[in-house]
Amino acid sequence: MNPDTRHPTPDTPLFDLLRGSLDHCVKCTICETACPVSNVTPLFPGPKYAGPQAERYRDPAAPSVEWSVDYCSGCGICTQVCPQGVKIAELNAHARRRVKARKGVPLRDKIVGRPTLLGRLGTPAAPLANASLRLRPIRVLAEKVLGVHRDAPVPKFAGRTFRSWAKKHKSPATGRRVVYFHGCGTQYYEPDVGEKVVAVLEHNGFEVDVPLKQDCCGLPLQSNGLFDDARAYVLRLARVLAPHARNGAIIVGNATSCTLMLKREAREILELEDDPDLKLVSEKTYDICELLLELHDRGELNTDFRPLEESVAYHAPCQQQGHWIGKPALDLLALVPGLQVHEMDARCCGIAGTYGLKAEKYDIAMKVGEDLFQQVADSGAAVVACDSETCRWQIEHGTHKPSAHPIELLHRAYGL
Amino acid sequence: MAAITTDVLVIGGGATGAGVAWDAALRGLDVVLSDRKDFSEGTSGRFHGLLHSGGRYAVKDPQAAVECIGENVILRRVAADNIEDTGGFFVTTPFDDPAYADRFVQGCRDTGIPCEEIDVAVALREEPRLNPEISRAFRVPDASMDIWKTVWALARGARDRGARLLTYHETVAIHRSGDEVTGARLRDARSGEEVDVEAAVTVSATGAWAGRIADMAGIEGVRVLPGKGIMIAMNHRLVNTVINRCQMPTDGDIIVPIRTVSVIGTTDVHVDDPDDRTIAQDQVDAMLEDGERLVPGFKRARALRVWSGVRPLFEDAKADDVSTRDVTRAHALLDHAERDGVSRFVTITGGKVTTFRLMAEETVDAVCRQLGRGGPCLTRTQALPGSEDGRFYHVSERLERKERHLQEDQLVCECELIPRARLEKAFEQRDTHNLDDIRRYLRLGMGPCQGGFCIYRATGILHQLDGMTAEEANHTLREFLEERWHGVWPILYGDQLRQARLDEWIFQGVLDVEHVQ
Amino acid sequence: MRYDVVVIGAGVAGLTAGARLAEGGARVCVLAKGMGSTHLAPGTVDVLGYDGGERVESPASVLPDFVSRHPDHPYALVSVAPALEWFAACVERGPKPGYRYVGSLEHNVLLPTALGAARPSALVPTTMAGGDLGDPAPICVVGFRVLRDFHASLCAANVARSGVEARGVEIDLNLHTGRAEENSLGIARHFDDPGFRSAFSTRVAPSLRPGERLGLPAVLGVRDPQGALTDLEQRLERPLFEIPTLPPSAPGIRVYDILRAALRSAGGRLVIGAEVVGASRDGTRVTSVRAHTSGHDHVYEARWFVLATGGVASGAIELGSDWVARENALGLSLSGAPADGAARFDPDYFAEQPLNRIGVAVDSSLTGEGTDNVLVAGAALPGAIPWREGSGEGISLSTGFAAARTVLEREGAAAAA
Repeated sequence: MNPDTRHPTPDTPLFDLLRGSLDHCVKCTICETACPVSNVTPLFPGPKYAGPQAERYRDPAAPSVEWSVDYCSGCGICTQVCPQGVKIAELNAHARRRVKARKGVPLRDKIVGRPTLLGRLGTPAAPLANASLRLRPIRVLAEKVLGVHRDAPVPKFAGRTFRSWAKKHKSPATGRRVVYFHGCGTQYYEPDVGEKVVAVLEHNGFEVDVPLKQDCCGLPLQSNGLFDDARAYVLRLARVLAPHARNGAIIVGNATSCTLMLKREAREILELEDDPDLKLVSEKTYDICELLLELHDRGELNTDFRPLEESVAYHAPCQQQGHWIGKPALDLLALVPGLQVHEMDARCCGIAGTYGLKAEKYDIAMKVGEDLFQQVADSGAAVVACDSETCRWQIEHGTHKPSAHPIELLHRAYGL
Repeated sequence: MAAITTDVLVIGGGATGAGVAWDAALRGLDVVLSDRKDFSEGTSGRFHGLLHSGGRYAVKDPQAAVECIGENVILRRVAADNIEDTGGFFVTTPFDDPAYADRFVQGCRDTGIPCEEIDVAVALREEPRLNPEISRAFRVPDASMDIWKTVWALARGARDRGARLLTYHETVAIHRSGDEVTGARLRDARSGEEVDVEAAVTVSATGAWAGRIADMAGIEGVRVLPGKGIMIAMNHRLVNTVINRCQMPTDGDIIVPIRTVSVIGTTDVHVDDPDDRTIAQDQVDAMLEDGERLVPGFKRARALRVWSGVRPLFEDAKADDVSTRDVTRAHALLDHAERDGVSRFVTITGGKVTTFRLMAEETVDAVCRQLGRGGPCLTRTQALPGSEDGRFYHVSERLERKERHLQEDQLVCECELIPRARLEKAFEQRDTHNLDDIRRYLRLGMGPCQGGFCIYRATGILHQLDGMTAEEANHTLREFLEERWHGVWPILYGDQLRQARLDEWIFQGVLDVEHVQ
Repeated sequence: MRYDVVVIGAGVAGLTAGARLAEGGARVCVLAKGMGSTHLAPGTVDVLGYDGGERVESPASVLPDFVSRHPDHPYALVSVAPALEWFAACVERGPKPGYRYVGSLEHNVLLPTALGAARPSALVPTTMAGGDLGDPAPICVVGFRVLRDFHASLCAANVARSGVEARGVEIDLNLHTGRAEENSLGIARHFDDPGFRSAFSTRVAPSLRPGERLGLPAVLGVRDPQGALTDLEQRLERPLFEIPTLPPSAPGIRVYDILRAALRSAGGRLVIGAEVVGASRDGTRVTSVRAHTSGHDHVYEARWFVLATGGVASGAIELGSDWVARENALGLSLSGAPADGAARFDPDYFAEQPLNRIGVAVDSSLTGEGTDNVLVAGAALPGAIPWREGSGEGISLSTGFAAARTVLEREGAAAAA
């Protein structure tokens, strides 16, 4: 068996990527040691049970007989640590979808699965929306009616969108084009992060294109079991980005969950292996730290950083780990003189996208994050650097310390 | 020496023997059912699990086909809990003669087998792993049958009606008194103790070993030719429908989804010794190629276990017409009173697992004739224990049960989802120290890890429960490992080799089973 | 990405090589497709337990003769002592305060296995040393029903047969997790908590007799095993030790933590999840390896590579259904495979299996055949049967250590030249 059978291409004979991968499981328990959820709650029996083991019992033609796999948060750490190449998290995603197909997808999941919808509704009325979401009675009502936990960390609408800024911004024409996929978080909640990303890229000689028709990558829909809707979104996004990729541009993003969706999850979980646009986009997508570190490796990164005499804790989100490229942010932050970086050794902050927002899962999410929150406190760091916005919101909620994307620190160190 | 008296002594605890015990017990007869090893350790426990629709014989052997479809209907009615209603396809692959398909359709029509041609696109949608180049597809009522479960349901049913079950009792002598068989002497292989069974009628349901038992009774000319075939269980259900190649029966032309595995089979090699369980490597390689024809990518899928079974092919040395002596798959009921002048002795051999009930019915009819009593056969309508509600078994059942009782009990065998309470109950019910018996009873150690994790656990639990000595526990553990190896080493490549190596690290590395005192 | 050295594999051999290289000043990246063997192994350092089935009392005495009889064995190519010394030092300065490995090459310690066999190891952690079966003190083996992976009565029954008085007791752990079962790691996390240990001591004390040492399954904490040991020995006023059992292995995970910390503190990088699937060459020099990562593959360039991907168990060496064996990461040649057409397996489970000793072909410097700059370490090497000989960690540590040294020497020579 040559390695290519683990990574099938359209040329390899009919091989079911996910179900076929269950054959690689030798029950070694390594995934169970790493699962952040099963280690804190009995409601999820663990990745080995829910993934390759239960898969042998599943009948695609019959309704799902399960419920516990719904407590898998989809963090993907199991797949990452599995030494045998079992697509555990991906198998779980499929099983979860079938559970929801049988039980019905709650209205809440349809709503939190659509950050674009929420964003469009909340942005024009941002001050009111933000204030309401911080009113206890409203949160209690939302928990009772919708099932969003009253204490769950919901972000603040920025009141403006990133693209409204991008529309008016013109990157200096350098000929070195890069396409910016900013994601919903940047668009509705953190447009300032997006501006900093653009500034850092321009500082390194890139001409940044922001396709204005881009929209959600569909990840929240996928993780809530709404596969058909997720497919529609991600393919729409692929159609917008692909022409740029065909012209030789690379696609860069700062939301590590969303770039992972484009790189891998959409192809594997939504079974879109055959779409040429998505395939091209996935090959050309980079995380911003990944890109900058590669530049540095080639000696092309601008390293005129001013000293930052600060202490920062760095947490790599589980879906950044899912890129399987290590922690490029660590190496980048190490270039900033004076900056004391404490690498956190925790697997997951708990939020796992929309998981930790849910009334029935919030407590689990907070227990999952406990270890990280404690490590942050023990480190004495003033700020927590983290690549994913939902994780930053969870970390701020759990540590009461500010959290920033690593790019924001670089931006400050550049003096931009 | 112990002595038992009974109406019917049934030698051979495979599907047929257990079926005879069940049938006879239902008719009010007292029964002793014995086997030299565990029940269904012989041919029955070593087939691929197909509950025939008869389609495979529709052209070649119409009589067998008619029997099969008849029994298929009956077993679905009375043994539903042991049967998965998978349905079956017959498909014409690029390697098959396209003309056969029409003969197949005609044959099904002639023999009463429901057969519906379906669109290839429909077949491929239902079974995405099937070879996309198939040109025709037909739907038939094949199903898969868990024979271990079936045999134990039969045995339990018989025992509930007073039958005595004697596993690990080897027949060492058949008692003759003039022209009558009066019973047999059995030896308990575990204790060495012997028991004399005095029986009004003795039934030899020993399949491929029938010749030996007949010899013991001083009867000549019962020649059963063992036809050995191998089967390979693949680690997961590559298909959820029984898939047959639409052509004359040949090697490796069927894949049966049964429980959590899919089984490909089989071959047909005449051997001399029914205990010949050797596996030829070239047959294994050929079978993997056969699998590739039906399911592209088959050779990259994980093979879990390989085993052989011997079909009992009865050759009637006393057939009148010497020139048409044909070795057939039809069953043969030999009433030795008529055939050899030796009364109170009946041999039932040949046949297929699918027709066990019919074979048992004919046998018990003959027994009743010899006894002069016993009512009509009830097995066409009487449900087996566990099958009373008529619901078919479904592959997800153990998962569903676990989900309903998620944190109530530990899983001892994780691959096969066996909770501790179930295992402990089985140890009690079976009164055995042999983990392989429990493997057949519960599927312990039959999943991907092949006992790598569960066998130490099961040994520890049994040792604690049963007051076994450490020597007995060690012996049982080693025996399991050796028995497992027989079925694993011929297919040890890829993922399964990796598993075996990890298991070696656990048993020899961590536990050091080799050097336990 | 460019590094001085890329190590492939994050088991004991890979992490050892990576840490040693980083300590030697090299820019190192360790790539691994997942977690390594540490999590499954008992956590002892086994150098040579059995020679042809006979128990070895003293590896130091036996090794020279062993090696002359097995010239293709990895021990014929490397020395063991320096690697063991380094490892012991790593443990001491590592993240588990007070945790130490004791023992030496001179004399194997006999420890009970979860089955109750007596297994020889050269170095053992302090948390296991109290179980030495060379000590006649009687043992009370305590198990927990919630830990299905360990069976005290069976363990004790077999230990007793080897001459040391032993009995098995099962107590209730009262974990209150809502789970019917727990694995060793889950329980070990509880034993890291002093409050839990106090409650546990109270619960177990009445079952213990004077003069007995207490054997537990290997659950004596992950973060602070020495603290757990000391605390419990004080409370229970007797020696205490842990017994390795089915995976996951808490002592094994401690080894991972320790080696990982050594790599990290020396400045080495670790990427989990990057499976190496190919390489580029310039003649006999491997210039880069290609790792399968999300989206687009990543290329890692380096001047040196250490292949520590494990053997058959990790899938590094694979036998296809065509019965051809391959090395999966770099496609290197193998040695020790049975000849074409010869039997690969013996029908007797306990016989020596022909495929056992297969590995990546190397020269006496551990350089992979057909390459200039790829060193091979650990279970990927041919000539050994570590799970039967009891030599796994000995081989991984000594060959990982030696591979690093060879690379540093050659780098130094290249720089000087």
